[in-house]
Amino acid sequence: MLVLDQVSKHYGAVKAVDGVSLTVPEGQTLALVGESGCGKTTLAKLILMLEKPTTGRILFDGQDLAQMSRSQLKGYRRQVQAVFQDPYASLNPRLRVASIVAEPILAHERPDRASLKKRVEELLDHVGLPASAASLFPHEFSGGQRQRIAIARALALRPRLMVLDEPVSALDVSIRAQVLNLLADIQQEFSLTYLVIAHDLALVEHFSTQTAVAYLGRIVEHGATEDVFGAPSHPYTRALLEAVPQPDPDHVLPDAALLGEIASALDPPSGCHFHPRCPVAVPICPRERPAEVNAPGAGHTAACHLLAAARPLEHAASSP
Amino acid sequence: MTALAPVLAIEGLKTYIHLKRGVVRAVDGVDLTVGAGETLGLVGESGSGKSMTGLSILRLLPKGAGKIVAGSIRLDGEELTTLPEKVLARDVRGRRVAMIAQDPMTSLNPVFSIGDQVSGPFRYHGGLPRQEARAAAIDVLQRVRIPSPEKRLGDYPHQFSGGQRQRIVTAMAIGRGPRLLIADEPTTALDVTIQAQMIALLRRLQQESGAGIILITHDLGVAASLCNRIAVMYAGRIVETGPVREVFRNPAHPYTRALLAAIPKLGSRGRRLVAIPGQPPSLIDPPAGCRFAARCPLKVSACDAYPQTTAVGPNHSVACWRAGEAV
Repeated sequence: MLVLDQVSKHYGAVKAVDGVSLTVPEGQTLALVGESGCGKTTLAKLILMLEKPTTGRILFDGQDLAQMSRSQLKGYRRQVQAVFQDPYASLNPRLRVASIVAEPILAHERPDRASLKKRVEELLDHVGLPASAASLFPHEFSGGQRQRIAIARALALRPRLMVLDEPVSALDVSIRAQVLNLLADIQQEFSLTYLVIAHDLALVEHFSTQTAVAYLGRIVEHGATEDVFGAPSHPYTRALLEAVPQPDPDHVLPDAALLGEIASALDPPSGCHFHPRCPVAVPICPRERPAEVNAPGAGHTAACHLLAAARPLEHAASSP
Repeated sequence: MTALAPVLAIEGLKTYIHLKRGVVRAVDGVDLTVGAGETLGLVGESGSGKSMTGLSILRLLPKGAGKIVAGSIRLDGEELTTLPEKVLARDVRGRRVAMIAQDPMTSLNPVFSIGDQVSGPFRYHGGLPRQEARAAAIDVLQRVRIPSPEKRLGDYPHQFSGGQRQRIVTAMAIGRGPRLLIADEPTTALDVTIQAQMIALLRRLQQESGAGIILITHDLGVAASLCNRIAVMYAGRIVETGPVREVFRNPAHPYTRALLAAIPKLGSRGRRLVAIPGQPPSLIDPPAGCRFAARCPLKVSACDAYPQTTAVGPNHSVACWRAGEAV
């Protein structure tokens, strides 16, 4: 449905996104994970057309966003909606919930009052809020309820793709599960495709069907979630997974002091960006950017020289 | 762990915040102890009172609004709640009790060099001459693994990464050998690989320093990897406390169980999360009975009265009427 083809976004010398190719298949949930500076937020902005790529193409149903006509773009914006991290910042505090949820509808249609009211009530019902919520202001709701309002707004135009940027990380633990379950339910109900941006690996494993791991603007590993978590093939993915503290007192975290600091996106290391932190780096790593090669599982790739050396005959064609 | 004399003993602590719209009972009858060399995890969600409990120890409450209204806080046997503010500021804060806050940028002054900030307490409070304070700063920065600290004393906070800044804050906290360290979400603002480094550092300091540590966190994974004992807070009260293994393996309070079921864990793919319905009660007018009752699957009529704390195992106690039952 959505295809990123060698997409880059440079801000001056900073390559926030550096040659990313990704496919978001219809009906799936693709999670983009990574730490600060990995480019995940910039990618979301590119997909939402809040920024333009410096190079590369973003295709929606085979159509290049950059080539779309005005009316095609309007159609694209209807079909692609977003839910952001902080429901305290993403809802206008001076609008009533009814206006917040109706806003995207009014941007695209001219419904009469009665049918608009009915649609808003239906949307609130879909996200588990009473119809009476419509006349209240955002501050009258808790964080979890606000995120429900943001989801209702995103659903208003019956989109096909939703970009979920850290949708539960601002919420309390006991509320997160409610919102995650709601997102899973509406995905079924409305046949939605999700692109979820997250840093919480346990959440990603739970929630997504596909996972892409980003490091300093590049995708280092990508595949079905069970393959990426079951057979992590890039040393960075392995390090990330090992570093997650588990709610289990007998789980031992590795001596992470070995891992060093995340490099600056202003001046990323040469070759493979991860090489200064990599426990298994070899001489080629600082010299050449590794190509994506096949890893265990269909469509599972990782950009690592060691993997390329170990499986020399299985070089992936170019991009997944 | 309980054989050790407690560094800190809190009994019946009530800290209320006076707002225009009412009195928030942020901490409403908390008992806890921390032994030397022990790490107690104070676990709960926002608004559960865990940070307010930490701030009450140092009496760093919202000015004019926050007040300790009842209870006692004893540090090595000495009562802190009646200590004059001046004595508390001079002898306790930063010296016998130190704090690491969540966001290192709010603990570090952006316009002073790291050298000034780390050596300052040694000079002005410890009375060390300039050169000795500098040496002490280098020493303590080495202990938190800042690479070649002698070369970086002249650098300013923005020249360090987030993880390094949090280590510098930690250096300032441990610098004067506190008896008690309060770490409030010390790893929450950090990326996961950097968080793992900070956890490793805190674990090493635990062993080296012998200080008691209160780790305030909402992250059960962080709590499990650092703590000896866990106290679970809900709506201003501690609902369960016990050794870390006991609390994670045999959680006794329905809230603790629900929390553990509500978080995704690595390796638990595809299972639907068990959400906790509803939300915590307002602390302006909290229910008289068990505060979790409205969300509790095991609620019975007895829950209309606040439950007694009962022991369910060695050092493991829970405030729940149905604690003894096999459910």
